[in-house]
Amino acid sequence: MKRTSIVAPLLLIGIGALFLARNLYPELPLIDYLAKYWPYILIIWGVLRLAEILIWAAVSKPLPARGMSGGEWVLVFFLCLFGATLHTVRGFSTWWPRSGITMGGLDMFGESFEYPLSGEKACSKTPRVVIESFRGNARITGGDTDSVKVTGRKTIRSLDQSGADRANQDSPFELAGDANQLVVRTNQDHVSGNTRASAELEIAVPRGATIEAHGRRGDFDITDIAGNIEISSDNAGVRLQNIGGDVRIDLRRSDIVRAISVKGELELKGRGSDVELQGVEGPVTITGTYNGVLQFRNLSKPLRFHGQQTELNIEKLPGQVRMALGDLTASNLVGPVHLSTRSRDVQLSDFTNSLEVSLERGDIELRPGKLPLAKMDVHTRSGDIELSLPPGAKFDLTASTGRGDVTNDFGPPLKVETDHRGTTLRGSTGGGPTVNLQTERGQLIVRKASPEDKPLTPRGEAPKPPEPPVPQKPLKKVEQ
Amino acid sequence: MNGSNPSLVSAIRGPVMLITLGVLLAMDHNGTISFGRTWPVLLIMFGVFKLAERAGAKSA
Repeated sequence: MKRTSIVAPLLLIGIGALFLARNLYPELPLIDYLAKYWPYILIIWGVLRLAEILIWAAVSKPLPARGMSGGEWVLVFFLCLFGATLHTVRGFSTWWPRSGITMGGLDMFGESFEYPLSGEKACSKTPRVVIESFRGNARITGGDTDSVKVTGRKTIRSLDQSGADRANQDSPFELAGDANQLVVRTNQDHVSGNTRASAELEIAVPRGATIEAHGRRGDFDITDIAGNIEISSDNAGVRLQNIGGDVRIDLRRSDIVRAISVKGELELKGRGSDVELQGVEGPVTITGTYNGVLQFRNLSKPLRFHGQQTELNIEKLPGQVRMALGDLTASNLVGPVHLSTRSRDVQLSDFTNSLEVSLERGDIELRPGKLPLAKMDVHTRSGDIELSLPPGAKFDLTASTGRGDVTNDFGPPLKVETDHRGTTLRGSTGGGPTVNLQTERGQLIVRKASPEDKPLTPRGEAPKPPEPPVPQKPLKKVEQ
Repeated sequence: MNGSNPSLVSAIRGPVMLITLGVLLAMDHNGTISFGRTWPVLLIMFGVFKLAERAGAKSA
């Protein structure tokens, strides 16, 4: 007689009951229970099977050669797969090695538990405030005060209250240091295992403070600070407004970096998406990879941008520059302006002193606008060049295209020469700076500017009005 | 080991392994300790069972 286990029928009954319950009580979060507690099915199954075998042994019935057949193990495997998938999909965890290799910020599971935190400490008028290994969002505001005051809450994700309590005890909030140097410590890196803590802090500091923040993940909103700002983070959005000192930002990832009215110099490094700078009085240096929209307005000192494929130097920017993935639009620049990039359509208007543009691929549209003209040296491998000059402009032009049409609005002073290398438009309107335009493949257009010309806007996009400065919205939670 | 009268040890091996697996996964899911760290327990259990089987087979 072949004995069959009682587990298979029980499993069937269990699954049937589950579906029945789901039909009868649709509001019960059964799927969540299943996602959380499916391993207990394995345990029950094992216990039943074990009990069965022990009973058989006790009544001296013949024992099976193996307690679990190959087929049953296959079923276990699929159950594990199903359970783990469910567990992951329901957002409890990324199941495979979760804390052995912490998978970035993905380790989300359990529920959030919140703990209030607060602290206050008297300090000098110009303290140095250091925020250490911080995970979460912080809003730092300068004011007429002589203390550092922190309020906020800590959010701990854990499956149960006790785990969260333990994590809370492991990560005490501290406000340490003396009157000149204060350290805001959230000790979130002391939380071990699978629990993650993040915090939302509102920090009020004296206006004269200097801020130094090291974050793991989360946003910084900093307003009305007269000292220097230094931020480094693995992943952060940074919004600054009314900063009196120098700003240094080093991010490994960011969704936005926005700085509005900074008196000192600004240095931005790393990777990110959008960058918005407005009203920076010191020199601006940006190094790194930014794949969103970059907007610069009203910079009083030189801008040095070193991107992966783009170099842009401007001596002074009373106007604005907008750089998106495929284009660059700028108006009202003080030169020397230097731009070299791989593949972009470039539109420049109102620039002075000198202009140097070098592209691999892309159309170039230039409207110097003001007289006297800037010296220009413009080169693209593939793309059209259009130059609109004021009617009375004086210049000495050499424009050549390897293959493409030439359009000349200025008439006789400029002559078209064609040879085996292509077409060249050459001539002078009585002195003036040299203008060199060169495209290897594309049209050349030299035209007279007219008042009806529409202002330059990036293709397919209307100019966006400047965003309102740092909205005072409640801090949003960090998704961990 | 003789196939006609398998030992109790080899019969309960499967269920006990299954229970262990379930316990480790349950501990993983309620956040006590990650399965990513505890999985070697399964190897150890398996080894212990194999040893017990050998011992049982010899003495029988």
